[in-house]
Amino acid sequence: MDGEGASSGGIDGMVNGKIALGPSEASTSVDLTDRVHLLPCVIKHDGACPVSQYFKPRKSDMVADGLTVEEAYFRGRKLQGVTVPIPNGYRGYVLEKKKTREGRCSEVADGEANNWASRAEFQNITYWNHDILPSKHDPIVRSFHWFAVSDALNKPITEEELASVSTVPDR
Amino acid sequence: MGIKAMHHGHRRSWKRPCSSLIMTWIYMIFYGAGPMVYGCLYCPLSYKNTLVTLKFAVLYSEMFVIFVEPFGKDSKTLKEEKREELFENLKADISIGLEVDVISPRELSAKMLKKEKINLNEISHNSAIGLVRRVLGMGVLLSEVFVDTVGDTEKYSTKLSELFPGIKFLVAKRADSLYPVVSGASIVAKVTRDRLLREWVFEETAENMHRNFGSGYPGDPETKAWLDHHKHLVFGFPTLVRFSWGTCAPYLKDGVEVIWESDEVDENSSNNGTSKRQVKLSKLGFTGCKRKTEDIESNGKGRSKFFQARKLELVPHFQ
Repeated sequence: MDGEGASSGGIDGMVNGKIALGPSEASTSVDLTDRVHLLPCVIKHDGACPVSQYFKPRKSDMVADGLTVEEAYFRGRKLQGVTVPIPNGYRGYVLEKKKTREGRCSEVADGEANNWASRAEFQNITYWNHDILPSKHDPIVRSFHWFAVSDALNKPITEEELASVSTVPDR
Repeated sequence: MGIKAMHHGHRRSWKRPCSSLIMTWIYMIFYGAGPMVYGCLYCPLSYKNTLVTLKFAVLYSEMFVIFVEPFGKDSKTLKEEKREELFENLKADISIGLEVDVISPRELSAKMLKKEKINLNEISHNSAIGLVRRVLGMGVLLSEVFVDTVGDTEKYSTKLSELFPGIKFLVAKRADSLYPVVSGASIVAKVTRDRLLREWVFEETAENMHRNFGSGYPGDPETKAWLDHHKHLVFGFPTLVRFSWGTCAPYLKDGVEVIWESDEVDENSSNNGTSKRQVKLSKLGFTGCKRKTEDIESNGKGRSKFFQARKLELVPHFQ
């Protein structure tokens, strides 16, 4: 989810691959802001779907933690959702596995190459609960806490920060 | 919508200062498609006998013909016209007040598919109770209420009597056959439902949707054809259909499986004291086959609480 450009995978040497987050061709990047929904279910289907014809979110009168609650129905169930922005400095991506050219697997010979490219981007996400009013305690909202923790753990320490630490009197 | 038109009886002059007592008949018309409609009809007690002489018994038998023979097309059209006519007569009768309660199929589905499922009996009871309250709220002094039963007659009767101590409730199975006057309320319900279905506006905007859904009886060929034509592998049916309706299940046999997080959540406190909520997946949308929890989320073993609570996990194999 992080930043621009390319980041290469590889945790303990288990994976070889690349995720290219920049649009593959300048004009093909699609903005899916306001159109990404996270449902409280697993739909065992992979492919295109006439979502806008069947899934009709509607604003309700309710407000949860400052956000307008929306209502929608899926397979007979009533869902309540809110649209939350992706925190500053981050962005959502829809990734697609990059097809390697016929017979040619780049970098890794045995076909383990795992290359992805961004197909679309989004700046917010609408997540839906079944039977529970959305709130700031929902896992998706709380998962954003990780960004701050991650920053604290991984951001390079600047010289100023180092200096300010070293000025603490040492007894 | 046709409902509004039926609230015509609100300001009947005899209601408020009236010393005579009035009764209500409540009747439900409901099939798996379209709204559930409760109809009620009330009038002064003194008018009760007159009502019977209005040949409601004949009405009743016509209703009965409709019940057992819903598919004879010509007769159906005729009956419908007849019903409409009778309905208009009831509306025009100044001694009679009519009320209806309509529950949309969308609302029915949602209630019946809640985590704490509300069954159809309870929904029906609440609808009937709501109608009694509404009529009382208009200042009508009810003394007797005839109700077509839903579920156990005794329990239903006790429930109603406890809620409304001053009213005598006559709860019966097929109350319209015991009390022919009840069929007056059944006409109100049936005509209301038919009108709503005729004017139904789909929420969905998929192409080629049409309103030739027949009677809504599970055996009606037209209803069957409609269900077959309007099923969608991912979305199921338009919200006109009550998803918990047994009749629609076979149409979605080949549908895409959907596993809900909220279907049975067990507290598993044995997990190192960290009571993690595990999803037990015995109820999976339409198919009902068993699945492993891993389909939804990992078990969180070995993860810090911080990540567990936020449903975050490291993905070593991104694929």
